[in-house]
Amino acid sequence: MRRKRGGALAAIAMAGVLALAGCGASDDGGDSGGASGELKIGLAYDIGGRGDQSFNDSAARGLDKAKDEFSIEATELEASQGETDAQKEDRLRQLAEGGYNPIIAVGFAYAGPLGKVATDFPEVKFAIVDDFTPGTDDGPNIANLTFAEEQGSFLVGVAAALKSKTDSVGFVGGVNTPLIQKFEAGYTAGVKAVTPDATVQVKYLTQPPDYSGFNDPAKGETAANGMLDADADVIYAAAGGSGSGVFRAAKEKGAMGIGVDSDQYNLPSLNDVKDVIITSMVKSVDLAVYDFIKSVDGDSFKAGNTVYDLSDGGVQYATSGGKIEDIKPQLEEYKQKIISGEIEVPSTT
Amino acid sequence: MGRISLRSVGLGLAAPVGALVFALLVCGVILSITGHPPFSVAEDMIGSLERPRTIANSLNSATTYYLSAVAVAIGFKMRLFNIGVDGQYRLAAMLAAALAGASFMESLPSVVRILLTILAAMLVGAVWSGIAGFLKVTRGVSEVISTIMLNAIATALVAFLLNPDRLAVTVAGSNNIGTAPITEGGQVPGIPYSGSSSDVYGLVALAAVVGVAYWFMLNRTRFGFDLKATGESESAAVASGVNVKKMVLASMLLSGAVAGLVGLPQLLGDSHSYALDFPAGLGFTGIAIALLGRNHPIGMAFAAFLWGALDQTSNVLDLSGVPKEIVVIMQGVIVLSVVIAYELVRRYKLRLEQRDVGRALGTTKTPEEVQG
Amino acid sequence: MANSDVNVAVRTGTVHALVGENGAGKSTLMKILYGMQRPDEGTISIDGSPTDLTTPADAIAVGIGMVHQHFMLADNLTVLENVVLGDEPRSGGGIDFKAARTKIKDISARYGLGVEPDRLVDELGVGERQRVEILKVLFRGARILILDEPTAVLVPQEVDELFGNLRELKSEGLTILFISHKLDEVLSVADDITVMRRGTTVASVSPGEVTARQLAELMVGSALPVPELRESTVTETPVLEVEGLTVTSPDGRAVLDAMSFTIHAGEVLGIAGVEGNGQAELVEALMGIRPLQSGRIMLQDKDITKLSTRKRRDAGVGYVPEDRHRQGVLLEATLWENRILGHQTRAPSARGLLLNRAGARADTERIVEEYDVRTPSIDVAAASLSGGNQQKLIVGREMSGDPVLLIASHPTRGVDVGAQAAIWEQIRKARAEHLAVLLISADLDELIGMSDSLAVILRGKLVASYDPTAVTPEELGSAMTGAGDGGPHD
Repeated sequence: MRRKRGGALAAIAMAGVLALAGCGASDDGGDSGGASGELKIGLAYDIGGRGDQSFNDSAARGLDKAKDEFSIEATELEASQGETDAQKEDRLRQLAEGGYNPIIAVGFAYAGPLGKVATDFPEVKFAIVDDFTPGTDDGPNIANLTFAEEQGSFLVGVAAALKSKTDSVGFVGGVNTPLIQKFEAGYTAGVKAVTPDATVQVKYLTQPPDYSGFNDPAKGETAANGMLDADADVIYAAAGGSGSGVFRAAKEKGAMGIGVDSDQYNLPSLNDVKDVIITSMVKSVDLAVYDFIKSVDGDSFKAGNTVYDLSDGGVQYATSGGKIEDIKPQLEEYKQKIISGEIEVPSTT
Repeated sequence: MGRISLRSVGLGLAAPVGALVFALLVCGVILSITGHPPFSVAEDMIGSLERPRTIANSLNSATTYYLSAVAVAIGFKMRLFNIGVDGQYRLAAMLAAALAGASFMESLPSVVRILLTILAAMLVGAVWSGIAGFLKVTRGVSEVISTIMLNAIATALVAFLLNPDRLAVTVAGSNNIGTAPITEGGQVPGIPYSGSSSDVYGLVALAAVVGVAYWFMLNRTRFGFDLKATGESESAAVASGVNVKKMVLASMLLSGAVAGLVGLPQLLGDSHSYALDFPAGLGFTGIAIALLGRNHPIGMAFAAFLWGALDQTSNVLDLSGVPKEIVVIMQGVIVLSVVIAYELVRRYKLRLEQRDVGRALGTTKTPEEVQG
Repeated sequence: MANSDVNVAVRTGTVHALVGENGAGKSTLMKILYGMQRPDEGTISIDGSPTDLTTPADAIAVGIGMVHQHFMLADNLTVLENVVLGDEPRSGGGIDFKAARTKIKDISARYGLGVEPDRLVDELGVGERQRVEILKVLFRGARILILDEPTAVLVPQEVDELFGNLRELKSEGLTILFISHKLDEVLSVADDITVMRRGTTVASVSPGEVTARQLAELMVGSALPVPELRESTVTETPVLEVEGLTVTSPDGRAVLDAMSFTIHAGEVLGIAGVEGNGQAELVEALMGIRPLQSGRIMLQDKDITKLSTRKRRDAGVGYVPEDRHRQGVLLEATLWENRILGHQTRAPSARGLLLNRAGARADTERIVEEYDVRTPSIDVAAASLSGGNQQKLIVGREMSGDPVLLIASHPTRGVDVGAQAAIWEQIRKARAEHLAVLLISADLDELIGMSDSLAVILRGKLVASYDPTAVTPEELGSAMTGAGDGGPHD
């Protein structure tokens, strides 16, 4: 059989293409940073990138805000589906080699690669959102921006319990990861703090490595419908873009929904269902990103972990729409107890 | 034959070269339409290939892709479509990682530890694909359906096992979760690549061994002959004494065993733990590469490297403001056009060969004339 | 591309026969005439005007119709539906079945085809189906009919009926191009005969001027072989003993009904029968491809009923399948790889678990030489050979490794006379060395000439046996259709 040929030919063919393309290649090398004290920011998103209606977008908002105030040149890159650590590392390395400083990585998946690149580029300032792994990404030039999602979730759990007439509430998680489990833990604790015997129905839309649960409104709607049929009347959608499906189901059944990450009542894309959104657990990635850029601009960079929580407004509950005006005193009371340490919110289920 | 083989070389070249050129043209047009000069994009991509790191990373990606492609190709040779390579390697990598990271393995010599890990991964992959093979043989369930479902089940199973109560460990402050890290004795050291910050996976050797074994199996063994024969004509294979059911099961097991290896270069050479960020979807890439490389051991190696290089050079595009999805489009166009081109060339070649046979017979033997 | 310098002139209102061995280029010429293949050079003129035929649709448009050797009819549709399929007469939005039915009846009556439009094709016999195919072509307005080996599937009585129809068509002014290699038939029905050999036309004769033998020699370009056995070599040692062999179809019908027979060493048992009476099932049951309902198969006193196909082959059973493309060769594999097929476990193709490529190649060269397989090399794909040459390769392969039993379904079908002689000679030689042969063939001359004993299969049973030295093709034909006296007269 003369199949061999095919392979050999493919080889020759490919060599040809490479050579062909190689003719046009040139090496301009990297230009070394901005002149005139301008910040050259490199921002590496996780899968989804700018426009994911979720936390990548939130980071983008922080960058945009900083752009308005400081002199900034920014390049934004994003991860592809199914890529390896090596590709993430290469992305960060290219930014570092390209003279970008500071470099911001959005998402815990960058932890390992960021640790390696940061060691090789000690003069560059790095930030990573959502991760603080001692030993992996805790170098002297790395700022870890993490959030006490469980605290904010606790408060919206309180709101859910107070608003529920059936004493049955729901939690729709996008993808079953430790991060989203943190939301669930806080939420459940908040619900139970108000109504100890309340039912909390929990459903995750997908399992990793299938991350479509963050962007599948149809799945969200199905899950929410199941919960509503089982008597729930408030559902917390910690599911990124899938939340819109949860709210649609809630609207249809006259139930209530709780948003996540940003103040979803005010999101234009959710305009038609906003009247069911009683509050949102706001996780201010934008604030963290903005703060970080500001610190670098003002030469006050601080390495190590910065936890954004209720005390500094890094996580909070939203009041837009005025649907929780009546229970605000109770919520504030719980908030103070958490800040003072009187209530310690669990971060794992 | 000299003339024929020269021509066949040309014909063989025609398909991949034509397809690549066509794919380049399509991408060029897309780039131009979206307002990006194609030549500067090509320059950027080639430029990034000049960095040793990109080459090393391409080789690493190619290693994984190649293993995945071989797994798929073993099925393809039998006309079996093992879509389940994805689930097979993820489950295998996860369980092998748990085994390799387990504390009792610490006491074993490094070689034994690595070999055990490899064997475990092959076994898990084989069992998982074997289920599909068994269902096909006993119940006539299409392997396409069953492997797709097994992928979903593998996802659920991995998620279930990746829990602190079961096979996973958590690290304070991290939002990731994975199996216990494999300590140095269980890792496969990388091969330093001069000028590159990343090493080439030590298990690139494993891919080479698998490639040679695949070639040997296909071309030198009775089993390989039966496999190809069944793929080319099941009825003829049956008539020749091949037990097709046995072959289906055997090839599914074999395909799964190779699939089990797919995650290992990454696991033992880089990640050292199966965590949430372990690369997924390599099984589907394997299908594309098997198609591109025509199931041929060497063809697939080049296809895998081409694919890996395209992946690695795509990072540079974002930096210059070109959407790197162009690379995905390019990969898609290449596969599509290669598949079509190969089929066209195959038909053309057969027709040429038939004509040649006719011509050779017409000229070599002069028919003795009989007067009627 | 198998043709060069082909010149044929067909007169209107005649039956023109195109004869030649398989691989002589008849099929190619036919494809060109029907627009399925384009000529590299040369012209086709119809009624004096040059015509360019690029698709079958072009051919139909100029009035050329083709009746294929293999019927292209849907069994579960009626004759009417089959005829209009793809050329539905419209009235308003629907199909005008009424008009179509009338037209079919007209055509049927005019040419004496006796086709009833409302019968299910499934119920029709082979001859009737063929007439439906002819009617289908006439329905589309064909004035020139190409018939590709139309008699290959018919028993003698049906052949006579077909020829009656052809004369009818001719008398109505239609032109018929009749492709065949059965010379007696050609001589009885054709007005003109064109002989093709090796891709070119070598002679044009009229049937009155030549004998069948001369015609055959024109086809071959040399003298002719005759199927005949010399002295009997039948021994007393049974090689294959079949007892109560029963095979049922998926719907529970017995396709082989308690069949029993014995073949001795050095004996050729010929099985005559109309296709579809259980021959294929018998062969597959003997090869272990098809499961038995009941019965026992003994090979050289060893019970092989439960053995796999491979074990049977290893025990010395050679197999020349009826459908070589389906069961005999791997079309896209090379000749030497095809030599290994069916001999994967045995020398010279295998050495332990490995293939012996050198051994297989060397033995392929031997087969190519001994059986006159015409190929430029053993490295070409089997698909590039003509059917006859593929068949020679198969027979050569199955005869290698000293088989004790050869199961041969139509071993010389579609094979040129030279190869036919070689195949017969090899069978004779092996028979003399005590090979037992089960010979199934549609060629009654071959059956009568090559068999030591003859049996007729009808609806899954052996209904009669004959002494080949005393039986005529007509007698066999009657028994095959169930119309004979049925009385065995050994």
